[in-house]
Amino acid sequence: MDVKEDSPRQLLEQRRSSRSRLRGYPLLLWAAATFFVVVLAAIIEGIVSQSGQAFHHFGLSFLWSTSWNTVTNQYGAGAFILGTLVVTAIAMLIAVPVGRATASFLTEMCPRRIATPLGIGIDLIAAVPSIVIGLWGLYVLQPVFLRDVEPFMQKIPVIKFFFKGAAEGPSLFLAGFVLAIMIIPTMVALSRTALSGVGVLDREAAMALGATPWQVIRKVVVPGANSGILAAATLALGRALGETIAITFLIGNSTRIAHPFSLLNPGDTLGSIIVFNFGESEPGTLLRSSLLALAVILLVITLLVNIGGRLLVRKNRQFTLL
Amino acid sequence: MSTDLLEAPAPSPSGKDPAVAERRTMIQSSARHTLKRRRSVALAIRILFGTCTVLTLIPLIALIAYVTKRGIDAMSVAFFTHTPTPEGVSGGGISNAIVGSLIINGMALVIAMPFGLLVSLFLIERRGPIANAIRFGADLLSGLPSILIGLFAYSIVVVHTHFSAYSAAVALAVLMLPIIIRGDEEAMRTVPAELWEAGLALGARQSRVVRSVIVRGAIPGLVTANLLALARAVGETAPLLFTTIGSQIFSLSINQPMNALPIVIYQDGTTAFPQLQLDAWGSAFVLMLGVLVLSIVGRMFAARMTRKSR
Repeated sequence: MDVKEDSPRQLLEQRRSSRSRLRGYPLLLWAAATFFVVVLAAIIEGIVSQSGQAFHHFGLSFLWSTSWNTVTNQYGAGAFILGTLVVTAIAMLIAVPVGRATASFLTEMCPRRIATPLGIGIDLIAAVPSIVIGLWGLYVLQPVFLRDVEPFMQKIPVIKFFFKGAAEGPSLFLAGFVLAIMIIPTMVALSRTALSGVGVLDREAAMALGATPWQVIRKVVVPGANSGILAAATLALGRALGETIAITFLIGNSTRIAHPFSLLNPGDTLGSIIVFNFGESEPGTLLRSSLLALAVILLVITLLVNIGGRLLVRKNRQFTLL
Repeated sequence: MSTDLLEAPAPSPSGKDPAVAERRTMIQSSARHTLKRRRSVALAIRILFGTCTVLTLIPLIALIAYVTKRGIDAMSVAFFTHTPTPEGVSGGGISNAIVGSLIINGMALVIAMPFGLLVSLFLIERRGPIANAIRFGADLLSGLPSILIGLFAYSIVVVHTHFSAYSAAVALAVLMLPIIIRGDEEAMRTVPAELWEAGLALGARQSRVVRSVIVRGAIPGLVTANLLALARAVGETAPLLFTTIGSQIFSLSINQPMNALPIVIYQDGTTAFPQLQLDAWGSAFVLMLGVLVLSIVGRMFAARMTRKSR
C-alpha cells in the first residue's frame, strides 16, 4: 500500500532510473581524462615529429658531433649536451650539499621560532621567476665574478685547472652558479619534507641514549630520510636540466667547445641554443629540424630523470607509511 | 610462574652486584671521556650548517633587495599607463605588457581550471591502473622543461596559424595543468573521511558526495592549487618566446601577438640602453611582487584548509 511505495527497494529503483539522467557526469570525467592523455601524447608528438629530418640526415652521430655551422648546414648536439651536463653538474655540486645542510639546520638545529619563518621565506623565494634571477645574475653577479670570484678560483689548487684562461664575463661557471641559487630553494623545501618525515620517537630514542644533535642527524635522521633526500636531489636535477631562460643571459652563447677546456669559457646548453637560434630558423629547414632534435634529447633526459625521481618519491612514501 | 623471576637476584639498580657496578662506572667514564669530543663535533657541525643556511639566504635576500631597489627607481605613472617608446625617447611604459600578461594568464587559467578539476575528480573517483597512469603522467608533465611546452604550443598552434596571444595561453594552460590536477586532488583528499561516510550514509551516490561535499569542503585547497599554478605560469618566459613573441603596441586582440612582462625583461634586459634596462627592472619588480602576492595568498588559503580539517 502506501508504506510499500516508500520502501527502500522503491527508493533504490527510483534512484536507479534517475541514474540514467546523470550519465553525462561520468562521461565528462572520462572525456577529461582521455583528453589529458591526448595532450600528453600531443606534447611528445609535437616535439618529436619535426626532428626526424635531422636524425635521418645525420644519423646517430648527431648525438656526439660537436659541429654547429649554419653556413655549411652541419649540426650536432655534442657541444650542447656537454654544456648542459657541465652547467648542471656545477649547480648540483653547490646546491645539494648546501641545500641539505640548510634543510638539516632548519629542521634539527635551529629554534622553531626562527626555523618556521625562514622555511616559509625560502619556499616563497622558490617561486621567484627564473628570468628575474637571470637578470640579477647578469647585472650583479657577473661583474663580481669577473673582478673577484673567478681570479680567486684560479688561485685555489686543483680547482684552478678548471679555470684556465682569462675571464670574459659570461661563462659556464657563472651560469652553473646562478642555476644553483635557483634550485637551492627546491632542494631545501623537499629535503625538509623528507627530514621531518622521520619519526619523533626515533629521535627521542637516540637522544635518550645520549646522542648529540649532530649524532641524531647523522645516525638516525639522515639514514631515515635518505631516499627522500635522494628524491629531492633528483627532482632538483630535473629542474636544473630544463632551466633555460636565466642561462641564456649568463652563458654567452658559444656553439664551439674551446681548447683548452675551461669553466670560464662561454658555452651553450640544449635549451639556450634552441632559444638563440629558433627565431632564425625557417620551418622545414635542416636547422629547424636539428633544433627540435635537440629538444627531443632534452625531453628524453628530463623524462628519465623525472621518472627516476618520482619512483624514488613513491618508494619513500611507502617507506614512511610503514 | 613468575616467582622465579621475582626471587632471582635483581639486575640490581642499587649496584649491589659488583660486576654491574664495575660495568656502569666503565660506561660512565667512557661517556664522560667522549662527551667533550662529541659536544665539540656537534658545535662545529652546527656552525658549519648554520653558515650554509646563511650562504643560502644571502643571495636570495640580495636578489630581492636589489630587484626592489632598481624596480622602485623605474616606478612612475607613465610606467603603468604608456606603451614602450623607442630607445632614447623618454616617458615609455609597459602598460601593454601588464595587460598582456593579465589576458594571457587569465585565458590560460580559464582553460586549465575546469579541465584540471575534472581530471582530478577522475583521479578521486576511480582507482586502478588508469588513474595511476594519469597521476604519473601529470607528475612527469610538471617536471617537463617549460621550453619544451613552448615548442609544443608552437608546433600544434602557431605553425598552423600565426604568432598570437591565444597560442601562449595554450602553452601556459598546459604548464598549469599538472599543478592544478595534483593540487586539486591533494586538497580533496584532505577532506575528512567522516564527511565521505556521512554523505554515503545519507544514501547519496558517490559522485553526488564528491560534488556536494568533497569539492565544496576542499574549496580553499582548490584556490591554493590554482593560485600556485598561476604564480608559476606568470613568470615563465620560454613558452612565450615561441608563441606570443612580444609587441610594441597596445593590443587587446587575442589573435595577435601581445606583449608580456617576462618578454619585456628578456628583450630590454639585454639592450645597452639605460632607459630600456630600467623598464626591464621595473617589469622584474612588478612580476616578482605579483608572484609573491599570489604565493602568499595561496598559502593563506592552504593554512585555512589545514585548520579546518583539524
